[in-house]
Amino acid sequence: MTNIEKGRISGPQLLFLVSGFVQGSVMLIDFAVGMAEKQTWMVILAGLLVSIPFVISYAALAKRFPGMNVIQINDIIYGRILGKLLSIYYIFFLFITLSFNIRDVGELYTIFLMPNTPFIFFLAVFTATCAYAVSRGIEVLARISYLFVITGIFVSISTTILLVDKMDFSNFLPLFELPFIRIFQGIHIMVSIPFGETIVFLMIIGYTNKDGNVIKNTLSGLLLGAFSLFIVAVRNTAVLGITQTIWTAPSFQSTRLIDIGTVLTRMDFLVGIAQTVLIFFKCCLFFYALLLAVSEILGLKSYMPLVLPLAGIEVIIAATVFQSPLDHAEITQNAGIIYSLPLMLVIPPLTLLIAKIRRLPESKGGKVT
Amino acid sequence: MIFLLPVYAIILIINVPGLIKRKEWRELIAFFVFYTIAFVLGLMYVLDITIPSPMKGLNCLISDLLGLKYPKY
Repeated sequence: MTNIEKGRISGPQLLFLVSGFVQGSVMLIDFAVGMAEKQTWMVILAGLLVSIPFVISYAALAKRFPGMNVIQINDIIYGRILGKLLSIYYIFFLFITLSFNIRDVGELYTIFLMPNTPFIFFLAVFTATCAYAVSRGIEVLARISYLFVITGIFVSISTTILLVDKMDFSNFLPLFELPFIRIFQGIHIMVSIPFGETIVFLMIIGYTNKDGNVIKNTLSGLLLGAFSLFIVAVRNTAVLGITQTIWTAPSFQSTRLIDIGTVLTRMDFLVGIAQTVLIFFKCCLFFYALLLAVSEILGLKSYMPLVLPLAGIEVIIAATVFQSPLDHAEITQNAGIIYSLPLMLVIPPLTLLIAKIRRLPESKGGKVT
Repeated sequence: MIFLLPVYAIILIINVPGLIKRKEWRELIAFFVFYTIAFVLGLMYVLDITIPSPMKGLNCLISDLLGLKYPKY
């Protein structure tokens, strides 16, 4: 079994990759704000608690099959036919989720920053940049990952500190007033989007060095990313209160209120920068995993020939997958989070269980089939 | 259309000579399959032809046929 990716990442790099990836969903917590309102912070914590065992199962699975990705693992555990079917399900998830994230960037720019520029322009430029970054390989992304993480955490914390005088902590009260189904849907969104999407690392963890301690680093990255999301949710609720549900992007709205002696104002540009770089990083990891998965399933020696054609397909799918931001939110809050649930919560733990029962991959004289 | 044709010509020039030189035929076939799909989708978009959304179909299957969806508030 040959590997398309020759690069290797270290344990701390894996930590920053996971953390940056989770932070890349900072804009997507807005999907849960409509459900959970002032209890968004609670939904993030509950979603994190639910996700932790599953994320550990992803890391444990990848650790059990060092140097392999999920496409190779599926073939070993489920056989060629069922394994390939599950891999196609995984590839569909990567493909469609990447298009959603690229679209998010286009919507961010056309709605908030440059409304007169054509939507497709942002999608094309952004995807071309991702394609360039991905063509450099996972090692380059891993080496710069800490910069993205520091940018995200710096913006979250600095804007929170600058907004302290605008915060009203009575905005969090009363607790537990919403119907349970709304909280449940909010938790479901959190489990499926920021935390469950870390399933993408089943294509990446296998390339961690042997001394990388993948479970510890994956979990630490998840917690660091969740911490950043939590700060943003607390800041938005404390500043905007119930009105955060009427804004398309509460983070932009809350940071627009920063006014320190009429000198430090319009700090929403910081949120724009942070969200752009974090979504860029997330899209790069999605794109990398997609390219690797498609190349693996087709038995190619390299993913390089597919980079530009797949980028072209992603741009058009991102431009046409939803009719409007409202359509985007409506579908993501229902079918978008339901269809991926088996992939995130059922298949990886089941695969790990089967591997343990069948004592794979060591069962055949210590050699991987 | 003015942008589409040069962009796809450049993609062809970047990838194909190297693949032929290295005799990577499998990679070349995969490249052409995805390249054709990308070009056709791009052309449909430019000519304003409706492109079916995969998410619409999935939404129809999950929410309408299987009835799996959250209530509206």
